[in-house]
Amino acid sequence: MELKVNGEAKSVSADPLSISDLLKLFKVEMPDMVSVQLNGTFVDRPTFGVTLIKDKDEIDFLYYMGGGQ
Amino acid sequence: MNGFSSKAIHGVSLKKDIHGALRFPVYETAAFEVGTARDMELVFEGKKAAHAYSRITNPTVEDFEQKIRLLSEAFGVVAVSSGMAAITETIITLAEAGSNIVTSPFLFGNTISLFKTTLKRWGLEVRHADMTDISSLDKIIDEHTRLVFAEVITNPQLEVADFSKISAVAAGRNVPVVLDGTLTTPALFRSKDAGIAVEIISSTKYMSGGATSIGGVIIDNGVFDWRKNPSLAADAVKIGPGAFIMRLRREIHRNLGSCLSPHSAWLQSLGLETLALRIDKSSANALAVARFLESHANVRNVNYPGLSSSRFHATAKRQFNGKFSGLLTFELKSKDECFRLMDSLVMIRRATNINDNKTLVLHPASTIFADYPPSERARMQVNERLIRLSVGIEDVEDIIDDIRQGLDKL
Repeated sequence: MELKVNGEAKSVSADPLSISDLLKLFKVEMPDMVSVQLNGTFVDRPTFGVTLIKDKDEIDFLYYMGGGQ
Repeated sequence: MNGFSSKAIHGVSLKKDIHGALRFPVYETAAFEVGTARDMELVFEGKKAAHAYSRITNPTVEDFEQKIRLLSEAFGVVAVSSGMAAITETIITLAEAGSNIVTSPFLFGNTISLFKTTLKRWGLEVRHADMTDISSLDKIIDEHTRLVFAEVITNPQLEVADFSKISAVAAGRNVPVVLDGTLTTPALFRSKDAGIAVEIISSTKYMSGGATSIGGVIIDNGVFDWRKNPSLAADAVKIGPGAFIMRLRREIHRNLGSCLSPHSAWLQSLGLETLALRIDKSSANALAVARFLESHANVRNVNYPGLSSSRFHATAKRQFNGKFSGLLTFELKSKDECFRLMDSLVMIRRATNINDNKTLVLHPASTIFADYPPSERARMQVNERLIRLSVGIEDVEDIIDDIRQGLDKL
């Protein structure tokens, strides 16, 4: 799949791929501290595990605990 | 690594220092360069985790926040410039004009002033309930109540409520409990286990390592569903459990500008490493001093939750694992006797702080409660015969000897 993650083009071979999988794939530190937008819409946290990513999707991770990574 | 002190000392290293420094450096800088213009845009959109400006985040402050988070096993922590800033930011995040908060009538003097004067002018109603009487609390909460606020050990009344019961009542009404845990810190009391939604702490006190600096922390324990708070509900549906911390970080804390300085964060991180040692020693000293005072003929009565004579002893013992912090009060015959004793003390210092390494003495009625009329002071159980002692970590024999020589002269 060809995705855009936080504005950058990324190729991902895993399919199917949920948002939870994506957080692990990109080794997002402190995933509890990240909110996710899928194609411009916030995704409810309880649905991270069942919301599947499709080819050409745009995903944004939003950080709010400060930096450090 | 499960022990409190082990975690406090080794903490979490989010980023290894390039020189391998074992102590996290002080990043005394206002701004950070984050790379390209696009990187900067991503940081401002919240899509890239990096520090941009120290009013919002700073690596040294973040290191301190992450240590507190680890020690309290909390969801998130924001460090601020003082304990009062922590209370103010929390209330402003959770409540709005036209809503109300329910508090104990027994609070730190500046907290009372904040609630009854400052926030009242902005349309917030403050209601009082006896936190040791759960039915009174239940009756006073209504649909406009945004939070219940309490102090872990009230100062100087030294009341200790049952916080699991308070949390249960508040949860039944979909209201979070905010607890000022300054006197216990996570070293004595894990507020998360009692269902407390947010713990705020004046880190100036025990945490700072001996009154080294002014600071405060806001701890989101991650136990409250923020969809139930009208102010955060919309964010919480989208963001989930991070709604409170995110509102704080991206709006309230950022706009009010009450940031903790990197140097203070560094000092307070150092203080955390010896927190458990110092709070244990202060608690043990306070119990010995309280027992001595109870035995002295010139002392009318002693108030300390560690004494079996306190009606809060059993609750405090259960909640704080048999330790009772370092604050106690006692009464003499008159204000004149109080002043004579205070002025005769040699090692113990006359000062307004608490939980310093030094033992400090204060006459509450003429100092921190001086702005209140006698009738109000009486309602707050502050009379002119009362002395407050914040017991430090000196050798206990020296503390007792100093008080004894003063009492014997009365």
